[in-house]
Amino acid sequence: MPESKAHWSLYLYCLFLLAPLYWLVSMAVKHNRDILGGLELVPANPTFANFVEVFTNPAWYQAFFNSLAYVGINSALTISVALPAAYAFSRYRFLGDKQLFFWLLTNRMAPPAVFLLPFLQLYSSIGLFDTPLAVALAHCLFTVPLAVWILEGFAAAVPRELDEMAAIDGHSFSYFFFALFIPIMRGGIGVTAFFCFMFSWVELLIARTLTASEAKPIAVAMTRTVSASGLDWGVLAAAGVLTILPGVAVVWFVRRHLAKGFALGRV
Amino acid sequence: MQPSRNNKAWLAVAPVVLVVAFSAIVPLMTVVNYSVQDIFDVNTRIFVGLDWYRETLRDPRFLEALLRQLSFSALVLVLEIPLGIWIARAIPRQGRQTTVFLIILAVPLLIPWNVVGVIWQIFARPDIGLLGAAVSALGVSYNYTSSPVDAWVTLLLMDVWHWTSLVALLCFAGLASIPPAYYQAAALDGAKGWRLFRHVELPHLRSVLTIAVLLRAMDSLMIYTEPFVLTGGGPGASTTFLSQYLTTMAVGQFDLGPAAAFSVLYFLLILLLCWIFHASVMRRDA
Amino acid sequence: MASVSVSGLTHRYGTEVKVLDRIDLDVADGEAHAVLGGSGAGKTTLLNLLSGLLRPNSGTIAFDGRDLKDVDAAERNVAQVFQFPVLYPGLDVAGNLGFPLANRRWGRVAVRQRVGEVAELLGLTPLLDKKTRALSLFEKQMTAIGRALVRPDVALVLLDEPLTAVEPAAKWRLRQALQRVRRELRLTMIYVTHDQTEALTFAERITMLHQGKVLQTGTPEDLYERPAHEAVARFIGSPGMNLVPARVRNGELCIGGQSLCPCALADGDCVAGFRPEWASIGDTGIPVSVRSVRPLSTLGGMQVALVTAEVGGATIHVRQPMHAADNGQARVRIVPERLVLYRHGRRL
Repeated sequence: MPESKAHWSLYLYCLFLLAPLYWLVSMAVKHNRDILGGLELVPANPTFANFVEVFTNPAWYQAFFNSLAYVGINSALTISVALPAAYAFSRYRFLGDKQLFFWLLTNRMAPPAVFLLPFLQLYSSIGLFDTPLAVALAHCLFTVPLAVWILEGFAAAVPRELDEMAAIDGHSFSYFFFALFIPIMRGGIGVTAFFCFMFSWVELLIARTLTASEAKPIAVAMTRTVSASGLDWGVLAAAGVLTILPGVAVVWFVRRHLAKGFALGRV
Repeated sequence: MQPSRNNKAWLAVAPVVLVVAFSAIVPLMTVVNYSVQDIFDVNTRIFVGLDWYRETLRDPRFLEALLRQLSFSALVLVLEIPLGIWIARAIPRQGRQTTVFLIILAVPLLIPWNVVGVIWQIFARPDIGLLGAAVSALGVSYNYTSSPVDAWVTLLLMDVWHWTSLVALLCFAGLASIPPAYYQAAALDGAKGWRLFRHVELPHLRSVLTIAVLLRAMDSLMIYTEPFVLTGGGPGASTTFLSQYLTTMAVGQFDLGPAAAFSVLYFLLILLLCWIFHASVMRRDA
Repeated sequence: MASVSVSGLTHRYGTEVKVLDRIDLDVADGEAHAVLGGSGAGKTTLLNLLSGLLRPNSGTIAFDGRDLKDVDAAERNVAQVFQFPVLYPGLDVAGNLGFPLANRRWGRVAVRQRVGEVAELLGLTPLLDKKTRALSLFEKQMTAIGRALVRPDVALVLLDEPLTAVEPAAKWRLRQALQRVRRELRLTMIYVTHDQTEALTFAERITMLHQGKVLQTGTPEDLYERPAHEAVARFIGSPGMNLVPARVRNGELCIGGQSLCPCALADGDCVAGFRPEWASIGDTGIPVSVRSVRPLSTLGGMQVALVTAEVGGATIHVRQPMHAADNGQARVRIVPERLVLYRHGRRL
């Protein structure tokens, strides 16, 4: 039987995962002079000054909302185009379907660095440069292929009899799709949103290239502040802690689907 | 049931094609277009054929970055795949503890990549970092900003920290789907340890491991942000990988032609490696 | 081979109600024993306790008189065949058959020889170098059975509804193969099933399990003719035993107000049970109202019907030549020697 207790090595590994995070959090509540003054395992004079700095400086919290904006747009856009496609791939054979599926996946293999310049030119020429929409669209490059891939697995698990029953009951296709199919797929949609978030929230290179000042994401704000005012480690750490929180919230939200989600619906 | 043939399904796929075409095909065509021209400014362009490709393939810095990239990706796979499987096996299959472990494992995956770099910078610096200070206290000279070996070790450690969770979560999902009867049969047949893993668990992990290897191979070949923040590609060029070299060329120096040729070669390389891997898995399945 | 002796075995998962409650079970060396019960009877738990995958809350299990309290699953020498064919996907048929031996560090030559013997016995020889994916369900389950038999020192073979997953057409072939194995090897086998036909045809003795308790252990005839418990009476037979309300009055057994036969029991209500074949519809006997007459089969040129009727609120079935049965009021005659009486569910 598989072990019902955790192996000791797992505790060790979790320690390895948490140690750098602990260090980040402890930095975030220290004054700069304490940070540079010498190593303390537990902050002797904890302070929230660094967080106050992040929250009161519009450059910081504006950047935070910019990030949430393009991640939100990206997730919504990705899922709304990927759902019908996933349905089609799971139900029908059509001309060029295999080639199309493979081509979609190859986009997941394109290094973002390759697309930097063309993206810059493309979005500048259509006037989207420095808007969250530009970043959201650009991130579709890797979120859409992944979403189609994951959702296809979940859609294939929905029994085809359901389609037929809806048709026999005289429901239109759109009624079936929106009132029956989508509610059944909500676990898969949640998991897909998780993956969209996972790859859009964490991406820096494209987000940095497509924004200047107005739509600057939080991740970028961090790197720039560092270079501007020397190294303010405390504020940097505090901002770092804040960027981790949405991720933790999302994990908490999908915790029940986590294992199944990673099976991508097809195991 | 066999999926039915229906070319109207293209209507359902059209939005995806449209979005991806906009964010992939148009830029890719631009890249290919640039890669065969010498561009002085918007109005002055000369068709140069495959010159940029030839030049790139002869560029020693490109070849060095390529070698570093391939070594890095190989090391990443060698470290993370076995470790991820090990971690997945160490997680209890069910219970409250399981959820806690899964959450802890998932956290590194959701941290912005440059923040990952910052976290490791803070953690590994010899002056203010817990790890750096601890290693120095042990009497080992360690400084990732001056020693290439230390820089590589720190980068690999960071990548393991960042991405092993993905492999572990995929494998855990695979393990969780094995019917309990297989474990019961193995217990009665006296299979333990390695033989249990080799003959019961590994065969059931094939599909998730294929996904894990593909994702880790692709993403490690594209790595940019974390080393950029942590080491800036240094010391020297010892941790300059393909993406970083390309970005310097394209955005830093505006060498559009060579950068575009580089891009095309880079993309083709990843495509080729993934295809070879995928094809070999498929052939063994058949 | 070993004899199995279980006494007072009790198990519960967590704090829930007992899944098994003071189970006693004795299986002789070389006996084929069936454990019969519906879902939730505790069959699977019993198997897992016997194989050592679970530890009981209390009670003992002994093989050949040796208590197995501290003996691991791997050391108990128990083999099991599961509901669906459990095969190691990376190995071919020979590899699967030899797997338990290889785990016990047998030499390559010895493994090959033993695998050859078992394959010969089960007719698997032509399949030995096939991948398991290429097998039919029947061949897969045969391979799984072969793996259970491969250890020459195996103490006990457990079969957990082994016919469930096999194609219907192959079921009887598999059952025959199991019968042949049982006859030729004289293995101690415990066959768990919810299907009474499988149990009655396979086993020398049957234990009927119901909601975690043993209701009866005995030969198939015992369970069929003299069910110890109303639940056994109802479960065994198709249709099950007829159970009608009865009363003992002044040393006479009465059903439906009619005195049937002398009875030595104390006065009071009871339940009378009889098999459909020990009653017939006729001119004399207990008055019943016939609900339906359904043709069953033709026996020697005579149509046999299943008559469903009602006596004192209970439904009974009687097997009867077709021509003699008719709807409406009728009378039924019961062979008194074949009556079984129950009070509070238990046989008197």
